[in-house]
Amino acid sequence: MTPFAALAPAGLAIPHIDYTALLPELILLGGVLVLIGVSAMTPRRLPTGVYATMTVAIAAAALVASLRLWRDVQNHGAFTTVAHSVDVDGFAVYFLVLVSCILIVAAIIGSGYLRREGIAGCEYYALALISGSGAMLMASANDLIFIFLALEVLSIPLYVMAGFDRRRPTSQEAAIKYFVLGAFSSAVFVYGIALVYGATGSTNLPEIGAFLAHNVITANGVLLAGIALLIVGFSFKVAAVPFHMWTPDVYQGAPTPVTGFMAALAKAGGFAAFLRVFVATFPTLRGDWQPVIWALAALTLVGGAIVALAQRDVKRMLAYSSINHAGFVLIGLQAVTTKGVAASAYYLFAYAFMVLGSFAVVGVVGAKGDRRHDLEAYRGLAARNPVLATVFSVLLLAQAGVPFTTGFFAKFYVIAASVGAHSYALAVVAMASAAIAVFFYLRVVLLMYSTQPADPGDEATTPGPAGGGVATLVRIPVGRLVVQPSIALGLAVSVGVTVVFGVWPQPLIDFTRAATFIFH
Amino acid sequence: MTIDGSWYLALAAVLFTIGAVGVLVRRNVLVMFMCIELMLNAANLTFVTFSRELNDIGGQVAVFFVLVVAAAEVVVGLGIIVAIYRHRVGATADDPHELRG
Amino acid sequence: MGSLDSYLPIFVLLVLGVLFAALSIGVSRLLGPRRPHAAKGAPYECGIVPTNELPRRFPVRFYLIAMIFVIFDIEIIFLFPWAVIYDQLGRFGLVEVIVFAGAVFVSFIYLVADGALDWGPARRARSFGSEPGRTTESAVRRVGAAGGRAE
Repeated sequence: MTPFAALAPAGLAIPHIDYTALLPELILLGGVLVLIGVSAMTPRRLPTGVYATMTVAIAAAALVASLRLWRDVQNHGAFTTVAHSVDVDGFAVYFLVLVSCILIVAAIIGSGYLRREGIAGCEYYALALISGSGAMLMASANDLIFIFLALEVLSIPLYVMAGFDRRRPTSQEAAIKYFVLGAFSSAVFVYGIALVYGATGSTNLPEIGAFLAHNVITANGVLLAGIALLIVGFSFKVAAVPFHMWTPDVYQGAPTPVTGFMAALAKAGGFAAFLRVFVATFPTLRGDWQPVIWALAALTLVGGAIVALAQRDVKRMLAYSSINHAGFVLIGLQAVTTKGVAASAYYLFAYAFMVLGSFAVVGVVGAKGDRRHDLEAYRGLAARNPVLATVFSVLLLAQAGVPFTTGFFAKFYVIAASVGAHSYALAVVAMASAAIAVFFYLRVVLLMYSTQPADPGDEATTPGPAGGGVATLVRIPVGRLVVQPSIALGLAVSVGVTVVFGVWPQPLIDFTRAATFIFH
Repeated sequence: MTIDGSWYLALAAVLFTIGAVGVLVRRNVLVMFMCIELMLNAANLTFVTFSRELNDIGGQVAVFFVLVVAAAEVVVGLGIIVAIYRHRVGATADDPHELRG
Repeated sequence: MGSLDSYLPIFVLLVLGVLFAALSIGVSRLLGPRRPHAAKGAPYECGIVPTNELPRRFPVRFYLIAMIFVIFDIEIIFLFPWAVIYDQLGRFGLVEVIVFAGAVFVSFIYLVADGALDWGPARRARSFGSEPGRTTESAVRRVGAAGGRAE
């Protein structure tokens, strides 16, 4: 006991905690307790729709709280709380709004999937809300240890969600792969934090920035090693080549709505912290880390696009396409300008809705059992469900960056930011990879509208994986595909955001610009 | 003979390297898991050493949080491994092999 | 803080560590005789053949209890520093700890309701989705005496 008492400062200063500034996160975590409390108190498992409704209500409350916070920040300026470890500024609140929206859409889409698969219970929603609170904390974290904690709060529920479909061995395989590599990257990340702490004497981001601005470090080996490990840790989380190995396997194995949620949320949270740490805290060392990000971005752009071309499985193809998207977001980071940060933030917003919608469609086409993800399953989809085929085409074309969608503006702004920062070569690489990416998106679109029927034998039955245990043969209906109302609603929101803000881009662009004024 | 902080830092660096190599080389999930714990504890040792050298309590507080995160990871990891054990015989990272491309 | 030159040993040792690990793996691969044998793939990884078939499936309950134990262990990690200086923290600390303990308690109620602590052959009241084939109970029964059929 004595050593602890000796270490405690004599006059203990209790940090001021502004609970209203933490309200969105507190609503989500309180909501989780309500969800599992209700689940524990009811003798029978309630239908999944009840939990979905509660989750949407909780996420909507968090959205309202985030918007109120946005108004406060716009009127009274940014502030920090909890002993300067939480930064409430436009950039953070922008991501609070985005995460709330992701949670709402993911809950709506997930409920349709869970009902089809006959999985009852509150676990999916509770895990999603915890993960969402982690992403929110990551965006507002102002301290490296806090970022590490938030990263784990974001990641650990995602490991479980990846293995959520316990009847499918691939789902468990995805969970274990994601877990081992995720935990490995966390360990690398925390060791990086330890080294940065040793070199600068603080884990608080503004203090580190001030230390670096006022001190010239002659032998900065420890600091650079720490920064390198931080880059590796972040690159794992946002799936940048060469730290992307887990992505295709995990995206393919995880239940399809979880894949969409994971892609949208982990990228938003991971990049929010990545941008804040590097652009706001280490700008004085940009000569050291900017070339590394340049190489990562170029590799990610080219690697993601080229490997996606070779994929026969749509989920794997979308996984590599998400790697390609991560490359575009890295371009905004590489610029180290306000424009670059704004472009990256805009890209993450646009990408979240495109990817949630795309994976929702993949989940519908995957049919009961979530197994049919071969490209052939999309042949003639337009005849089976014309609306679904149109929706998927819009989402894929938006991912390809076709005008009149948010995807176009997203790509346009990152490339413009790159040119503005005189990274012309990277801009050229980005445009080349966008051109390659158009090819594999269009291939799916053309298949959906192809009139040639597939091989009937292949269409009628498809062998289930050995050891699946449910059935050896899964019958696939050839006729009309039915889209459940909740999934239709989720798709409507995703496509709506993608197209409305593509045609009328000003509000979203203004929102992004107002959010990123802090970086100079 | 006095042992100054750099020895602890060096020990932590070696532990971290052993853990990292272990995760990449070994194929048993439980062993990989232990290697990750080794890496986290190497980070803890680094935090404590720096905390001592800088005369700053922050590093020791960080260790608390790293410990908690490590425990949470243990629980979730064991849960996932148990779920896999119930469907398979061994716990080798190469055994699950349905996801390849 | 002192001169950063004093951190040089870390990097020397880091490099040495990597070199040593790489060297020992590389050399053992180059020089070691390769006679793959079924016994070498067996448990213990050293060629000792297990004499009798061990029960494959350890009851899952033990793992569950261990996991729940770790959670409470961690709760103590946070309660301990609070307990050391609770009088200085005053009402603020008390409220924070109550909120923290409350969150853990709700999770605990969830665990109990989900049957995580039911010890015995009685069927869990509610099962997660539908899982045909193997259940915890069948696994416990198969293991027999080693398992938790007490009570």
